This record gives sequence, C-alpha cells and structure tokens, in this order.
Amino acid sequence: MSGAKTDEDKLHPLAEIDNVIHASARLMVLVHLYVVESVDYVFLKNQTGLSWGNLSTHLNKLEEAGYVSIKKGFKGKKPHTMIHLTKQGRAAFKDYKQNMQQVLDDLPD
Amino acid sequence: MSNEISLKETERKVFKAAFQDGLVDIGIGGFLLVFAIGPFVTPYLGDFWATIVIFLPLWVIVFPALGLIRKYVVTPRVGVVKYGQWRVSRMRRFNVIILIVLVFSLILGILSAVEFDAVPGWIHAARFSLVFLLAFSIAAYFLDFTRLYVYGAVVALAPLIGEVLYQYLNVPHHGFAVTFGLPAVLIIITGVVRFIRFMRDHPLEQGT
Repeated sequence: MSGAKTDEDKLHPLAEIDNVIHASARLMVLVHLYVVESVDYVFLKNQTGLSWGNLSTHLNKLEEAGYVSIKKGFKGKKPHTMIHLTKQGRAAFKDYKQNMQQVLDDLPD
Repeated sequence: MSNEISLKETERKVFKAAFQDGLVDIGIGGFLLVFAIGPFVTPYLGDFWATIVIFLPLWVIVFPALGLIRKYVVTPRVGVVKYGQWRVSRMRRFNVIILIVLVFSLILGILSAVEFDAVPGWIHAARFSLVFLLAFSIAAYFLDFTRLYVYGAVVALAPLIGEVLYQYLNVPHHGFAVTFGLPAVLIIITGVVRFIRFMRDHPLEQGT
C-alpha cells in the first residue's frame, strides 16, 4: 500500500469546500463574526462595506444554513438586531479554513 | 499561516473601530490639562480644595459628557460589538496590570511626599515621568492604540522639562502650564479633528 496521494485524494478537499461560506461576501461576514461574540447590523455593514440589501440577503442564507443566529429586539423604541455565529457556523468555518488551507498547500509553486 | 494572520488583523481592526472617534484623545487631553492648571490654583485653595476644584469638573462634566456622546452619537453610527473571548481576557489582563501601575504610582506619590525635601527635584520628576510612560505604554499595547505610545513619550517629557526649566531658568510652577498644557491642547485638537472626521465618514444609519 502506497502512502502517496492520488489525484483523487488531492482534489478531495476542494470537493468539500462549503459553497455557502465560499461566496466572497458571506466569507467576509463570517470572518468578522468569527472573531467576535456578536455584532449588530450597523457594525457588520460598516466593517464589511456591504449594502443593507446585500448584507440582509447573505445573512438570510447563512441563517438558513444554521451558521448564524439573528436576534431581533428593541433598544429603547428602536428595533435592534444582534447577529452571532452559531456553534455549527463556527465549526463549518473551521472546516472551511482547513480545507482551503489544504487545497492551497497542495498547489505547486 | 496567512489565514490566521488575516483573522488576527480582522479582530484588531474590529476592536480598533471603537477608538476612531477621537473621544479617548479628548479625555486624555482633558486629564492632562489638570496638571497644567493645577499649580496655579493650589496656592490660592490649598492642596485639598485645589484637587477637588480641578478634578471635579473632569469627573462630573467632561468624562460623563464624553460617555453620553459615545452612547448617543458614536454608537448609532459605528454599531454595537461584543468582543470575543480572546479580547475579553486581554482586557481583563489590562485592567489588572493598570491597577498594579496605579498602586505603584500611589506608592511613588507617597514616597515623594514623605521625602519631598530630602531628594533632588529631578528624582521626583523622573518618578512622575516613569508612571506616565508605563501607564500610556501598557494602555497602547493592550488596546492596540499606537498613538498612546507617542502621547506617553511626550507626556513623560513634561515633568523632566519642567524640572530643567525650574532648576536653570527658575520658571514658576516648573513651567507646567506649557510642558503639560501644550501636549494637552495638541491631544485635544487631535481628538476634535478625529471626531469631526469620524462624523463626516459615518453618517447616521437608518437601518437596524
């Protein structure tokens, strides 16, 4: 039995790349959520530079995947929404990071 | 690994976003202004009342006003963030170390008061400088707030220059009006400029 990687083995991590995370806007959102406990919409919009509509669409996709939790509430009389990465989202991001690292490390210089 | 560096940088960028408004600079400048005004008030009011008269407006008006500006003007523009575990524990370490520096400065202050006439003036000035340099550098390091290194160096020079002015030119009140006043005013101006820039770059967001 040989220990050398076959072409199929080398491509395996690429096939496992999570497409929900891989979109650049969602990746940017997740990177910001990964390094904090939680943020509100305004903060995330300022940090990512996305428009309200874009941010909302991508957050909905991430919420559907179970990667983020969106809690709507009120701050005084104004609506206020906090967003945080779920355990599932954190694990998925870690896997994504590992897979990408492996794919990139396997590429020739 | 490059992606770890990028995450670290993102975390730092997120944390530093809270200090872009210039309010911390204005607070520091206000605090330093006390040292410039203090020597002029003390001969008329005595140590105790002079301290009250100088520090009270700072604690009762200036700092609460800056807090209110942050709450009602800055936060709606920059948003709300709860920092991650790594940053929270770093801030806890910072609080403990700053507390140790404060106790250390208190001991140095008592020591200076007890042996005021027994040691040369430059030793008191050096102690004073050391405290400023330590406090500002520690804050700069833990808060990733690079400007504080510069502020610390400039402020640490103030007592030393003051001692030179007093020893060689016999300048009254060690020239503190200038040695502390000038950096204080420059730091306040830096803060005000940053605040105006912040307001210009961060219009009020209507969404949630």
